[in-house]
Amino acid sequence: MEETNKQVPVTVLTGFLGAGKTTLLNRILTEQHGKKYAVIVNEFGEQGIDNDLVVDADEEVFEMNNGCICCTVRGDLIRILSGLMKRANKLDAIIVETTGLADPAPVAQTFFVDQDVADRTKLDAIVTVADAVHLSTQLTDHHEAEEQIAFADVVLLNKIDLVDEGGLEVVKERIKKINPFAKIINTTKCGVSLNEILNLDAFSLKRVLDVEPDFLTSDHDHEHDDDVTSLSFVSDTPLDMEKFQDWFSKLLQTKGQDILRTKGILDFTGESDRYVFQGVHMLMDASPMGKWPEGKERSSRLVFIGRNLESMNLKEGFENCKSA
Amino acid sequence: MKADTSQFPELDKTKFEQRGTEFKLGIPVTNAVTVGNSIAVGFGDGTVRIFTSGESSEPIKAHKGIVLCMSKDGDNILTGGDDGRFLKISLDGKISEIGNFGTRWVDHVTANNGSLVCSSGNIVYLWSPNHKEPKLFEHNSTIGGIAFDAKGRRLAVSRYGGVTLWKKDYSNKWNSSELNWKGSHNKVIFSPDGKYLVTSMQENQLHFWRLKDKIDSAMSGYGAKIKSFAFVDDSKYLATSGAKEAVCWPFDGDGPVGREPICLPYVGNKLVTFVEPFPNENAILTGLSDGSVFLSEIEKASNTIIIRSFTEFEVSAIAVTKDCSHLLIGDMGGNILWTSIWDEEKK
Repeated sequence: MEETNKQVPVTVLTGFLGAGKTTLLNRILTEQHGKKYAVIVNEFGEQGIDNDLVVDADEEVFEMNNGCICCTVRGDLIRILSGLMKRANKLDAIIVETTGLADPAPVAQTFFVDQDVADRTKLDAIVTVADAVHLSTQLTDHHEAEEQIAFADVVLLNKIDLVDEGGLEVVKERIKKINPFAKIINTTKCGVSLNEILNLDAFSLKRVLDVEPDFLTSDHDHEHDDDVTSLSFVSDTPLDMEKFQDWFSKLLQTKGQDILRTKGILDFTGESDRYVFQGVHMLMDASPMGKWPEGKERSSRLVFIGRNLESMNLKEGFENCKSA
Repeated sequence: MKADTSQFPELDKTKFEQRGTEFKLGIPVTNAVTVGNSIAVGFGDGTVRIFTSGESSEPIKAHKGIVLCMSKDGDNILTGGDDGRFLKISLDGKISEIGNFGTRWVDHVTANNGSLVCSSGNIVYLWSPNHKEPKLFEHNSTIGGIAFDAKGRRLAVSRYGGVTLWKKDYSNKWNSSELNWKGSHNKVIFSPDGKYLVTSMQENQLHFWRLKDKIDSAMSGYGAKIKSFAFVDDSKYLATSGAKEAVCWPFDGDGPVGREPICLPYVGNKLVTFVEPFPNENAILTGLSDGSVFLSEIEKASNTIIIRSFTEFEVSAIAVTKDCSHLLIGDMGGNILWTSIWDEEKK
């Protein structure tokens, strides 16, 4: 009975055309692992995927009538994932390939919003394949490239043999500035061990606790207003739960479209448990996650990835949540 | 195939379980369709089995992966699968391929007066009798459901943003009109009297249109997606799943606007996952998320009997033979109950 109730992990593979998604897919599928994968591809994707279970999808983005202004989901994924769950032979994992121009948010939101999908599958991680040579230009020219980096749990920085060391550092700094959580893996021809990209459980609240974001000193030199950046805050003073909830829910309601991803561990006054949350736009998973480890300092940490973060008075808002 | 009933003690069995045959196949049941006095069942391993009184049922290997949808054309079964094939299967198990769409799934199939219809992606394909090539009806998004009205002159196609209604004029030309309502529409059905069109939505609600004046309205208040709904007793009630009660909306008179539905409660407080009208009666067979199935009279809830006790797997198919002698229940755990309905048929 337990086996049938197990949620099948879904890995989302993003990245611009030519970055190496198909190379990575074929690598995943042909490695000797004895696992059964389904691959959901889009009709404009690269050809030549070597698997007996390939499903064509349409990348249809649906608006939900649930009152959430930025809530869009991938209708084709709901249809296909619900169908795949009726299979007699259970799948070990599902891989969703998206086109280079796709916004990853509707894909991630599908796993929050659709009950059938949430019951039977779980979003494992968003893996973005980036071309070390062209990423900088793509980030400047296409906001989709920024979003793909912003949503990534893992950035596979591919074709590093084609850039020099200095060039590689510049690209990595740029990635970290957008997304301090993402694990960056340097590769040539997508040579990566599968346990670094599959079964990461990156969207579980438990994993939020393990992530030590690469906090960067802010520098705001040549940023445009619509660049995706990240801001993080730390406080050793406990927070007031009511004040925090008030501030945070209003913030997501009014600025949810610009806030792409959030993660945090919170220390509330009078609570013995750690509170952990992670969100995509306005949708949020939050839960107490057990006691604070003994002998360790309690502190609250909060990270935002998004656009126009400077205009949201985040620092002031966060400071105001501290218990008096 | 043999029945393994060791898990359930004899005492807990309903009289239907006692006189029927239980099959523990372990393969999710995706669909069931009545074809005369037989019932065809589709499974999550691509097979189809046909249940007929007094005959054994062997698996027919129809699709590679999953039987996604089923319907019938006269005495033949129609199936669509995740292998992109649209098949016609005779009751003696002969398979003929009507269409093949490769890596694109065949999501919906239906038929009317010998015309065979399926949808794959955003296109509906219609094969008229004696035509080799299908006629194509293109839509602006993937199709959520297809349905003919009782006369076969109207074909409803649900999609993102509403329903496209195709009407055949007397020169056999198809013309379309749009019924728009924001959101994604899934399954669609006509009322048997042809007056209403009902869809289930991605949100936990139904939507209906009264076709003579295009008045439309939502039916909401559900806790889950409504995957199963059907008209009962001609067009008097619309029975629906998606709540912990079978919610039956009145569609007689001026329809459901401003009227309360009849809600049929069941012991156990589980989600209703399947509803199937009992032929020629004002009654429904209700399947729940724990596998139990009840037969209820809509206007007299006290007249409810248990047909099958729980299996722990949600009921995904219920069908009754045309002569009302037998019924079949299937669930997502691959458990099937095939039983005679009336006591005197007990062997």
